[in-house]
Amino acid sequence: MAGASDSMSHETPRLLVGTASAIAHHGELIQGVFKDDGGRLHRGLVTLPVAGLRSEASFARSDDDAIVVHPDHKIKAAAAARLTLDSLNAGGGGVLTLRSSIPVGHGYGSSTADVVASIRAVAAALTVQLRPSTIGRLAVAAERASDAIAFDYHAVLFAQREGTVIENFGGSLPPLLLLGFKANGGVPVDTLQLPPARYDSAEIQEFGVLRALVARAVRLQDPYLLGRAASASALIGQRHLPKQGFDEIAEIARRAGACGVQVAHSGSLFGLIFDLFASNLKRRAALVAEQIRRAGFKDVEVHLVNAEGWTW
Amino acid sequence: MVSFNVDYFRDLETPRLALLAPNLVAAAFPLMKLMPARYILDRAASNGELKPGSHIVETTSGTFGMAVALLAAARGYRLTLVTASTLIDAKYKARLERIGATVIALDDPRGDGNQPGRLERLQEILAREADGFWTRQYDSPGNWLAYARLAELFIRAMGRVDCLVGCIGTGGSLCGTASFLRTVFPHLTVFAVDTHRSILFGQPVGKRMLRGLGNSVLPKNVRHELVDEVHWVGAYPAYTTAHRLLRKHGIFQGPTSGAAALVAQWVATTLPDAQVAVIMPDEGHRHAETVYNDDWLGALPGWPCKTPSEPRTLTTIAPAAETQWTRFLWLRRSLDDVLKAQAAGDMPPAVGAAENL
Repeated sequence: MAGASDSMSHETPRLLVGTASAIAHHGELIQGVFKDDGGRLHRGLVTLPVAGLRSEASFARSDDDAIVVHPDHKIKAAAAARLTLDSLNAGGGGVLTLRSSIPVGHGYGSSTADVVASIRAVAAALTVQLRPSTIGRLAVAAERASDAIAFDYHAVLFAQREGTVIENFGGSLPPLLLLGFKANGGVPVDTLQLPPARYDSAEIQEFGVLRALVARAVRLQDPYLLGRAASASALIGQRHLPKQGFDEIAEIARRAGACGVQVAHSGSLFGLIFDLFASNLKRRAALVAEQIRRAGFKDVEVHLVNAEGWTW
Repeated sequence: MVSFNVDYFRDLETPRLALLAPNLVAAAFPLMKLMPARYILDRAASNGELKPGSHIVETTSGTFGMAVALLAAARGYRLTLVTASTLIDAKYKARLERIGATVIALDDPRGDGNQPGRLERLQEILAREADGFWTRQYDSPGNWLAYARLAELFIRAMGRVDCLVGCIGTGGSLCGTASFLRTVFPHLTVFAVDTHRSILFGQPVGKRMLRGLGNSVLPKNVRHELVDEVHWVGAYPAYTTAHRLLRKHGIFQGPTSGAAALVAQWVATTLPDAQVAVIMPDEGHRHAETVYNDDWLGALPGWPCKTPSEPRTLTTIAPAAETQWTRFLWLRRSLDDVLKAQAAGDMPPAVGAAENL
């Protein structure tokens, strides 16, 4: 994901240009509050990564103290670059350039992808390899709340406001087919304007059950259990940030034999989760996609998760 | 900073899981009531209801009292347990007192446990003590909420759960575990294990030989709408199944665990494709002089007797002998609905999970 070259730095040959990228996600499999080993509660989430959409960053170091970012509204990415330089005890500044194919405001994690790509690019410019946990911590420091995309396809329960891992599930998510689309007429959501959800005791206890399902699903590569967890988390999310058409989608998912329904908990994205190796999947997915379009949802897309080149 | 991930009571409340059949997982607890007791005390401490040195009160003579007594000792709370002289034996009382609890055993002239008298005494203590705290295991939502942890343990060990079998007394363990499992497995079939002459599922009140499950009053934590089938197991089959658990599986549990295991084995055999979980609440040590003592058993009228291999399905709810095992298709109805249907003489549907093969 990251590399360094000096091809672009003719004027200052001792300073490298680092390039790196970060993938987008499709919201969360589960999001809520979770107990740590000491019984204390932390807000946490399990991100559902999708390939295809990504943010690419390049960072050219300079002796100047300032960090100049293009496009210039990506101030969180600039902040992340500064934090990374500081944490690596590197002086100076640089020019940070971002190119992203990730739509903003739907829950694809465009902001975190920019931030993570920037952290990786700065580290690459310094020829340093950062651990995912360090990148995650820096990302949260730069943007206050951040998803777990620093861990790429490795499944973790991530405290998105603390930058720490609550539980490392020790592997990747099972291969999935995700039928993604947008609720609420495809209107973007400004996530920073949302107050954090207040969960009641029963919801907090249920999150522990969902976490257990994800742990088992990752360990045994079981898409069905992952779907059960996602559906239950989405249902709790409905009580806090309702999405139009949820019941209809849940019914379509049930009839289609999907493993579950997944949402971006603070976005407009919906996803239907299927076992990538299920029989007749191509035909079934096409039928379901048509039903979803007819029900009035926008931008129905197919995403493959951990497909490893599988042609379905 | 020192960082030890150590919690004795979290470990003690954690059941050992046993495979009783290829499709049957048992959660064998040393002292199940620690799970709700710890959760209720943790919650009360974090919201300020319970302060250092507070005075905890509860009306129990059972294992919930033992669990609270251990926690109170470790955490520096005072504890008073109000019970009836007919419900507690001298040894158990001495054990609780040795832990530091005050045990008040009220007279019980009617022999029904004198619950009104116990509640009256408990209210007197609460009125007197400014920092009194009543754990309310019958009604506190903390009792059922605590069992999310058991649902987690089952899921981490077995993944999908199709059937859940457990005893019912306060409703906490079975209804709590069932409601959390059903949020993710809506098809879950729930088997409640009760005993003859317990009022929980509409039987008339009477003397119960098998203790530790069933009830003579109806706690709020019993949620009938979660239950698909109720099984009433008599004391004798519960005892023999407890013996069988020990001899066949090396698992030393009390007679309520025997009752639960009896029903669970039948469910697992009847539904071989289902993944079945069963809750077994306590170890057998408290019953060493009785259920595990041949002299005591030999003095029981009719002992030894044959253990039924399957339940008798009732269409009219009625008590049976302590040698019997009966079953009724509850079908997730409220108690009111079932009692009304019984009064109207409606025949309940005769098809349950077991018939629906």
